[in-house]
Amino acid sequence: MTHHPKERPDSLSRRTFLLRGAGAAVAFSAAGPLLAACGNTTNVAQSTGTGGELVGPGGLPLARPDKPVTLPRWEDPIASGLQPETGGTFTVFNYPAYLYRKLLNDFGARYNVDVQYTPFDNVNSGIQRLASGAVAPDVTNITPDVLDIAVAGKLIKPLNLDYIPNLQKNIWPQLHSPFYDGESRYTVPYTVYATGIAWRTDKVTQDIAGMDQPWDIFWESQAYEGNVALLSENRETIGMALLRKGITDINTEDPGLVNQAVSDLKELYGISNIKVGDLQFQTVPEGSSWLNQAWSGDMIAGYIYYLPKGTPASALAFWKPPHGKGPIQNDCFAVCSSTKKPVLSHLFLNYLLDNGVSYSNFVDFNGYQPPLNEIDPSTLVQKGVVPENLANSVLTNDDLGPDSLQYCTLTSKGQQLWEDGYSNFLAGGGS
Amino acid sequence: MTAVAEQPARPQPSTSTRLRGWLRNPWGKPRFLVVFTWAYIVWSIMPVAIAVLFSFNATRSRTVWDTFSTRWYWGDPVDSVWHDPTLRHSLVQSFKLAGADVLIAVPIGVLLAIGLARWRGRGSGTSNFIMLFPLVTPEIVMGVSLLLVFSHIFTFVHTGTLAQILGHVTFSISFVVVIVRGRLFSIGSQYEEAAADLGASPFVALTRVLLPLLTPAIVASAAVVFAISADDFVISQWLSSGGPTDTVPIQIYSATRAAPLPSVNAIATIMMVSTLLIVTAGFLTWRLFTRGERRQGKAAEDFGGAFNIT
Amino acid sequence: MYRRSLWPILALPGVLWLVLLFIVPFYAVLGVAFGTVDPILFQPVPIWNPLEWNVGWLTEVLGRLAPGGIWFDVEVRTLVYVLISLALCLLIGYPVAYYTARHAGRWKGVVLILIILPLWISYMMRMLAWVNLLQQDGWVNSVLTFTHVLSQPRDWLGGSASTVILALVYGYIPYLILPLFASLDRIDRSHLEAARDLGASPWYAFRKVTLPLSKTGILGGAVLITLPMFGDYYTPNIVSGSPKTSLIGNQIDLYFHGGPQPTIGAALTIVLAAFLTILMLYYLRSIHRAQREGGTVGAL
Repeated sequence: MTHHPKERPDSLSRRTFLLRGAGAAVAFSAAGPLLAACGNTTNVAQSTGTGGELVGPGGLPLARPDKPVTLPRWEDPIASGLQPETGGTFTVFNYPAYLYRKLLNDFGARYNVDVQYTPFDNVNSGIQRLASGAVAPDVTNITPDVLDIAVAGKLIKPLNLDYIPNLQKNIWPQLHSPFYDGESRYTVPYTVYATGIAWRTDKVTQDIAGMDQPWDIFWESQAYEGNVALLSENRETIGMALLRKGITDINTEDPGLVNQAVSDLKELYGISNIKVGDLQFQTVPEGSSWLNQAWSGDMIAGYIYYLPKGTPASALAFWKPPHGKGPIQNDCFAVCSSTKKPVLSHLFLNYLLDNGVSYSNFVDFNGYQPPLNEIDPSTLVQKGVVPENLANSVLTNDDLGPDSLQYCTLTSKGQQLWEDGYSNFLAGGGS
Repeated sequence: MTAVAEQPARPQPSTSTRLRGWLRNPWGKPRFLVVFTWAYIVWSIMPVAIAVLFSFNATRSRTVWDTFSTRWYWGDPVDSVWHDPTLRHSLVQSFKLAGADVLIAVPIGVLLAIGLARWRGRGSGTSNFIMLFPLVTPEIVMGVSLLLVFSHIFTFVHTGTLAQILGHVTFSISFVVVIVRGRLFSIGSQYEEAAADLGASPFVALTRVLLPLLTPAIVASAAVVFAISADDFVISQWLSSGGPTDTVPIQIYSATRAAPLPSVNAIATIMMVSTLLIVTAGFLTWRLFTRGERRQGKAAEDFGGAFNIT
Repeated sequence: MYRRSLWPILALPGVLWLVLLFIVPFYAVLGVAFGTVDPILFQPVPIWNPLEWNVGWLTEVLGRLAPGGIWFDVEVRTLVYVLISLALCLLIGYPVAYYTARHAGRWKGVVLILIILPLWISYMMRMLAWVNLLQQDGWVNSVLTFTHVLSQPRDWLGGSASTVILALVYGYIPYLILPLFASLDRIDRSHLEAARDLGASPWYAFRKVTLPLSKTGILGGAVLITLPMFGDYYTPNIVSGSPKTSLIGNQIDLYFHGGPQPTIGAALTIVLAAFLTILMLYYLRSIHRAQREGGTVGAL
C-alpha cells in the first residue's frame, strides 16, 4: 500500500488553483513575445468555432458547451507508425502529487526511459514556465481554460490520435471531441468532477437531496452556525448562488445577475457565519465542517483518507445536481512542443487512458476520477472502494451531456466582474 | 512619602523580607505585578507546552491524552514525520532554506555592518536608511514585491527554492547588521587604531583584530538568522512553487485550517527544539565571549535585542 | 586611498543585494500597479516610466476603500482589530515589562528568558497550539464548562472576532514586550528617587517620570507589532476562516493567488505601504519629540 494521505491536500487543493484559473486565463511577460511572433502564422480565421463573438486569450473564440470550438493546428501532427524513442529522461509536467509514482516507474521501465516528475504550483505559472523555456517537459497537464494560450503560443503540439486508440476505446464518448477542443486536436481528458454539497448526516437534519432546491440549504443553515463553508473560488461560489436562483448560464457576464448573486451570498454571514475554504475533503470527515459545498471526489477521498475510526461511512453524504443542472469540469493532458520524444509522448497519453493504469491512478493514489467507461458506481461499491451511500459521488458518462454546465473562460471584463464580486463577498460586510 | 512602593534594588532584599513588605502593603504594585507577570508567562508558554505534549500522544487526538508514544515521530508507518514524505520534505526544505540563509546573509550582513559603521563617506547615510526598511516592511508587501520582480524583471528566477532563499536573505541581512553594529559600538575603534599604529594595514586590522572581536555577534546573528528563517511563513509561501518547496510553517498553516494529526505537532516540535538549541548555543557563545562586559540580564537582553530594533 | 575605499567595498555586496532585491522589487510593484493589462492576454503589462503611469488601478482601489466602497467594511474592521489588539498588547505587556525591569530582582534573568522564549518559537507553532486548545472538545472548553463559566462548549473557531483578536494578541505580544522592557530598564533610578524625595506619590511618579521616559519603548513596540498586523492574512484564516473576520491582507492575497488581476492587488499593496510609511514617519517624529521631553523630565 503506497497511499500518501498527507499528499492529499496538495492534489486536492490544486483544484483551487485549477478553478481559480478557470476563466482566469493568464499569461505572462514571457508568453507575450511568443504570441506576438506567432500572430502571423496562427490565423484566427482558420478556427472553425461557431462561438464567434466572445474573444478570449490568444485572440481565439471562447468555447461554450453549446458553442464548440475546433482549434487551428499550427503544425502537422507527427506521422503515424513511428517507433517510440527510448533512453534518456522523459519529463511529466503536472500539479504536485497528482499522478501515481508507481505508474510512472512502470512506464519508464517499459520504454527504458527515466521518468521525471516536475510539479507546477498552478496551471498559469505552468504555462509561464513553458513559454519562457525554463522547463522543457515532454507532456503536461493542462486545463481547458488556458488551452487557447497554449495553442496560440505554440506550447503544445497537435496530436496524431492514431497513437492514442485508448481515447476511443475507453473514454466517455462525449469527450472524444469535447467542445473546448473539437476533434481532440491537442488534448486528451485526464480527470472529471462535479460540484455539489457534502454534509454530515449526524448533524444536518434536513433532507437535502429531497429539497426542491437543495442549494437553499445554505440559506437555511442557522442551526449549524460556524460549521458551514463554501469552496473558496470565485466561479464556484458565485455560480452556486446563480444556480440556486435557477440561472443556468454560469458564464454570464451580466453585472446585474452577478451582483445579485453576491448580495445573496452576503446574506449567509448572518445566517450561519459562513466560512470559505478548500479543505472540505478533510474537514467534513473529521467533523469540523457539517455542511459544505464540495466536489464529487471529496467525500470518496475523505472516506478513504480522513474518516476517523469509529465514525461510520454513513455519516457522510453527497448531493450533486441532476443531469444538466450543475457544473462538471475536467482537466487534460497534452504533448509539449519542447519534447524530443514526440512518439513516446503520444504513447504516454495513451498509457494514461489505459483502463488498468487510469483506474489504479484513481483508486490507489489520486482520488480523482478519470472519465473511463469502465468505472461504474455499483462495481466500485461491490469492490468496497466506495461505500454505498457515496455511490453518487462517482460520475458516469450520463452525467456529462450536451446540456452540462461548465465554467468556461470569460472575457477580460467578465473575469473582473466575477473576481471583484468574490472580493466583495470575501470582504465580509459590516460587523 | 514613605508609602512609595518602589522597592529599592540595593541591597537585594530576601524573598521573605519582600513577602513581609507586600503583606504590610497589600495594595502595593509588586504583588499584583508578580502574579500578573507569572500568569502572563504561563499563558504564553503553556499552550505550546501542551502542543508538544500531544505530539507524543498515542492516539490521533490532540485534545484527549492517551499514553506516551513516539508514533507521530517515526512509529506510524504512514502518518509519522519520518514516513510521511510531505512532512519529511518540508522539514528538509526548512533546514535547507535556514542553512543557506545563514551562509549567505551572515557574511553579507557582517561586512555591511562594518562598512556602514566605519565608512563616513558620502552615501553611507542613505545606505543606513535603506538597511532599516526591510525590518519594518510587512512581510506581505515584501512577498508581493519579490513575486512581481521575479515574474517581470528577474524572470530567470522562478518560484521555488532559489526564490525563497533570495527572499529569506533579503529580510535577514538587516537583523545581522543590527546585531553586529551593536557590538561594533561597544568595541569602539581603539583596537583597530592600535593595530594601525603598529603598522597593520586596514585589511589586516580587519581580519586579525576586528573579526575576532566580532565573533560573539557573528555567532549570535547566525542563530538569529536561523531562527527567523525557520519561523518565516509569508515569504516562503509567496515564493513557493508548491509540493517539495513547502516549508514546515506552510505545512502547519495548511494543517491547522483543517483537522491536523499529532504528526503536525511533532514536526512543529522538531523545528522548535532545533531552533531553541541553536539559539541557546548562540546565547551561550555570546555570554562566554562577553563575560565581564555584562550586567545582570544584559546578555539575554542584548541577544534578544535582535528584535528590538527601536 | 586604499584605507578609505575599504569600507565602501565591504558594504557593497549588502547594499547591492538590498537594492536589487528590496528596492527594485518595490519598483516592480509600482510598475504593475501603474501599468496596464493586455486586452487579449489578460496579463499585467508593467509601465516602468513614471511619466506614463496609469493611475486607473489606484483610483479604483481608493474608490473601493472609500465609504460605500466594497472594501470599506474590511478596511474599518482591519483598523478596529489592529487597534484593539494593540491596546490589549499594551495593557498586558506594560505591567509585565515593568515588573521585569523594576521588581524581578534576582529572578530578572529567568523572567527575561521566559519572556523572550516565545520569540524563538515559530508563529505557526503558537497558532497551532491555540487551535488545539480551542477545538470544540479542546481544553479551553473543558476547563470553562467544568468551572461552569460556560454551560456548554463554545465554538471558538467558528468565525468569531474575539478569537481572531486574541490570536493576534498572543501572536504579536512578545515583539512588544522586549522594546518596552528595554526602555523601562534604561530609566535611571535616580529620577524616581528624586521624585520620591520631592514627595511624589507612586502613581504621580509613575505618571510623570516612568511613563514619559518609557514612551520611546511604547511607540517603538507599537510600531513593531502594528505594521505586520496590518499585513496579516494568515491569522484570521487559521482561527476563523469566515469572511466576517477577514482583513485587508486577505484581499491582497486574493488578488495575487486568486486570479488575473494582480494589478489591483499591486495597487492595494501600494496604498497599504504608503499608509504604513506615514505611520512610520509619525513614529520617528514622536520618538524625536519624546526624547526631547525625556530630557526635560531628566532635568526635573
